[in-house]
Amino acid sequence: MSSADRAYLNTRVAVMATQLLDPDTIGSLSQMQLPELADRFHLTPLLEEQQSPRSRSRAIEQALIQLLLGELQILIRPMSAAERAVVLAWGRKYALFNLKSLIRGKLHDLDQKEIRDNLFDLPANIRLPEQELFRAENVLELLRQLEAGPHSLIARQAREIYEQRREPFALEAAIDQRYYAGLVRQVMQFHDDNLQPLQHLVGAELDRIDLLWLLRFRFSYQLSPSETFFQLVPSMRLLHRDRLLGLVNLESFQRVIDSLPPPLDALLAESQTVIDVQRHMGRYVAREARRILRQSPSGVARALAYLMLREMDLFLLFALVQGRLLNLSSEVVDIALEITEPTCPWSGAKAA
Amino acid sequence: MLRPRPMKHVRLLVLTEDLPQASLALAQTESFHPDTRPPTESRLTGLPGRDYRDRYNQARSRLDKIAKLIDVPVEEEIQEVRVVELDELSALNDWLGQIWQKTSRYEEDLRRLDDQDRFVREQEAALENFQHLNIDLGMLRSRTRFLDFYVGIVPRENLRQLEGAVALADHLLHLYMQRGENAHVVIVGPTGTKETQLSAVLNAAGFQPIPIPDTLDETPEQIHNELEAQRQDIRDHREGVFQRLSEWSRGFSDRLVEARRTLRLAEPLVTLDPSLHSAGHLAYLAGWVPASEVDGLAGRLRETLSLPFEVQARDPLPEERKLVPTVPVRSRLLQPFALLVKQYGVPEYGEVDPTPLFAVTFLLMFGSMFGDVGQGAVIAALGWYFRTKLGRFGLFGVMAGLSSVAFGFLYGSIFGYEHVLPALWMSPIHDPILMLKIALGYGVVFLVIACLLAIYNRVVIRNWSGAVFGHHGLVNLVFYLSLVWGGLNLGTRGAFGNLPTILVIASLGALAWYNWRHLEAPLGEKVLVVFIETLETIIGYVSNTLSFLRVAAFSLNHVALSIAVFTLANMMGAFGHILTVILGNLFVLVLEGGIVMIQVMRLQYYEGFSRYFSGDGHEFAPLRLRRGTAPS
Repeated sequence: MSSADRAYLNTRVAVMATQLLDPDTIGSLSQMQLPELADRFHLTPLLEEQQSPRSRSRAIEQALIQLLLGELQILIRPMSAAERAVVLAWGRKYALFNLKSLIRGKLHDLDQKEIRDNLFDLPANIRLPEQELFRAENVLELLRQLEAGPHSLIARQAREIYEQRREPFALEAAIDQRYYAGLVRQVMQFHDDNLQPLQHLVGAELDRIDLLWLLRFRFSYQLSPSETFFQLVPSMRLLHRDRLLGLVNLESFQRVIDSLPPPLDALLAESQTVIDVQRHMGRYVAREARRILRQSPSGVARALAYLMLREMDLFLLFALVQGRLLNLSSEVVDIALEITEPTCPWSGAKAA
Repeated sequence: MLRPRPMKHVRLLVLTEDLPQASLALAQTESFHPDTRPPTESRLTGLPGRDYRDRYNQARSRLDKIAKLIDVPVEEEIQEVRVVELDELSALNDWLGQIWQKTSRYEEDLRRLDDQDRFVREQEAALENFQHLNIDLGMLRSRTRFLDFYVGIVPRENLRQLEGAVALADHLLHLYMQRGENAHVVIVGPTGTKETQLSAVLNAAGFQPIPIPDTLDETPEQIHNELEAQRQDIRDHREGVFQRLSEWSRGFSDRLVEARRTLRLAEPLVTLDPSLHSAGHLAYLAGWVPASEVDGLAGRLRETLSLPFEVQARDPLPEERKLVPTVPVRSRLLQPFALLVKQYGVPEYGEVDPTPLFAVTFLLMFGSMFGDVGQGAVIAALGWYFRTKLGRFGLFGVMAGLSSVAFGFLYGSIFGYEHVLPALWMSPIHDPILMLKIALGYGVVFLVIACLLAIYNRVVIRNWSGAVFGHHGLVNLVFYLSLVWGGLNLGTRGAFGNLPTILVIASLGALAWYNWRHLEAPLGEKVLVVFIETLETIIGYVSNTLSFLRVAAFSLNHVALSIAVFTLANMMGAFGHILTVILGNLFVLVLEGGIVMIQVMRLQYYEGFSRYFSGDGHEFAPLRLRRGTAPS
């Protein structure tokens, strides 16, 4: 990337970063009613066009994802091929959401309209060849078709697993695992100043994903240590391969939490449930992303950090809008926005 | 010729039962470009073509997939045009669904055989590898009292993770070979309680065990023969699958051809789907039709529709101008130039179509910059010889070559020889200053025409202020002509002249005043922007005019290159002379010909189109019935 492109990207990121929500803004948003929110975020036409709460919620979700991916498209313009590849690899999670919707639709024999209603409209460089996949009349045919394209690695493994086990859980776990493994592969393509900040950023995200998957697979789904380990994608940060090998062998939720390395041990010391862990790890990733956005000299890492933070903000906004659409109480909405802590008596032992 | 064909907006109301018939009739006229805007009537909320479209798409997709495995003969041209009703389309879709269901089983069989074949190759490679080991491999065949063995292949990307996972189940993984995307491994561990755990992991990792044959202690050749026999067996199976498929499909092959024909007949209604709206039994569709074809279209509908319908045609509204499609140039001679214009954009409806002007100025400039009878004739001959491969560009080559030949006669140049052919006018090198003057004059005329067209394009859409004060508008033209006038005075009389000076200052003042009024910015920024824009107007017109000097420069360059070639040739013997002249001509033809082409395109796009041609229109694409014999 030329110095002019780098300056352009850094300026773009800096300008876009002014849109990120601070805690005070989140607090004030939580007080707003639906019309005020819609007005502030230019969602009024969407709410007026759609009739049912479900279709309104879907339209808002679609609009927010399009907003995020639109910004992604702007940010990748000045990037080099490798930088662009890593950011697009991150954005492809939305293509995999579509793939999962297609697979679920085919598995449950839903009609095309219903499947189509659940797909996100994505930019060309992220989306799957949906029209072709739509032509498939069962999961196997769908995965065979996907195997012919750029998602061949994900599709082949998913097909083999589906052929052996015929269960959606294994299929979706394989898709997620291949997605994160692909993201790591893209990061490791760098051999310059971008490598370390990207490792930190993606590593923090993998720490979060690994810990959540580990706790769920081991203690909620009761998978064996070796099966659990196989589903994880070692992080380049705290939860690296050797540490995961040790953690999956532990026999209780609490022992896993107690054995975490700093700073996760202190961060999660009070965590009793997977939901607590999810909440704290979300904050941990946000903190790392903010640090990189503020301090890193790497343009691509700053851009990716911005996109991750923006995604969190948009999900938060979506949670708020959905809460209002469903007339949920403000206490429940505040919990979703992480303004207040949940007080439900569900214990970690139950989660395990 | 420069003006677009007048268009009408046509609104058609028919009964939904008549929609398939109406779509066919419209497709047959080949003059209806659908307008996808929703109707203004709020009650027309139904989408009458949606079911039809969904069935069609599914049927079409099924037929395409079937045709990949079963040879569907190319059908002959559709002779009898008939209506395909929704019921017929649904029945066809269901039938194709049944056929695809069975065909996909054959497809899956073939894929499985491919996987087996790949696996046998892996097995062969593995056993070849074992051959060099000095251990009793028979032990790997079955588990022992204390040890479990797994020999097999696993996708390479899963290797590292699998290694850790098997270690957690107290097993060891040893990698002994990597081939393509697969890794060959041996996993060994104690017989005991963790087998179930391991088996789940191996499944998740896509592990495929390689069977160790009982006959492993036989000679390598025997083992190889056995594996070859397995592969032969797979080949036989594959042939068997194809044979069964062929026999099975023979019974309905004609029906598949008929299915393709039926889908082609159904296609027009599917294409119309985004334009179709309805309320109850009343369907609405709208589109753009060339004004001269409206009566023919209405007549065709009267002939074919049995139920009542209504056609209304009106002129396009001013605000619809951007939506009206432009009918492309039809002249065969202009077709190749139209393609080059299209690279820049399609004329907006109402805008002057620059293709004829482009063609004339292109040929003039190319010929004058590359005037040579011999080389022009070569270009024309090549264009003619490769006309089938080059398509429309073949004719383009012929015309460019002929223009070069014509100017070659004027310059008296043939293959670079300047004294063989008597010049009808003169060689450019004889009076370079005159050539530069002519080029400059040509540039002035070109830019004036471009400005006039820009003014015309704005007047047509009643953009009066744009026509007077806009970029390359009337005030700009006055400024430019005054500048040219003053320049001529300066060259001939040594003074710019009072009237041209007054006109230049007045026109620049008017432009600055207009910019000032239309700029919303702080005072300092306004001053800066207006000053820079005024300066840019002066510099722009001067530099754009000088840009045309390249026309003369390249005509001189052509002669100079030829002189260089002949100087080199004269330094050689007889054979060397001929060879140098031939190679030199080839060099000039390829290199200079290419550069001249690029320079002409640059002048056209940058000095011409950027002044008067928006290129923001879209092409007229009428609904058509594909009758051809080519497979879709």
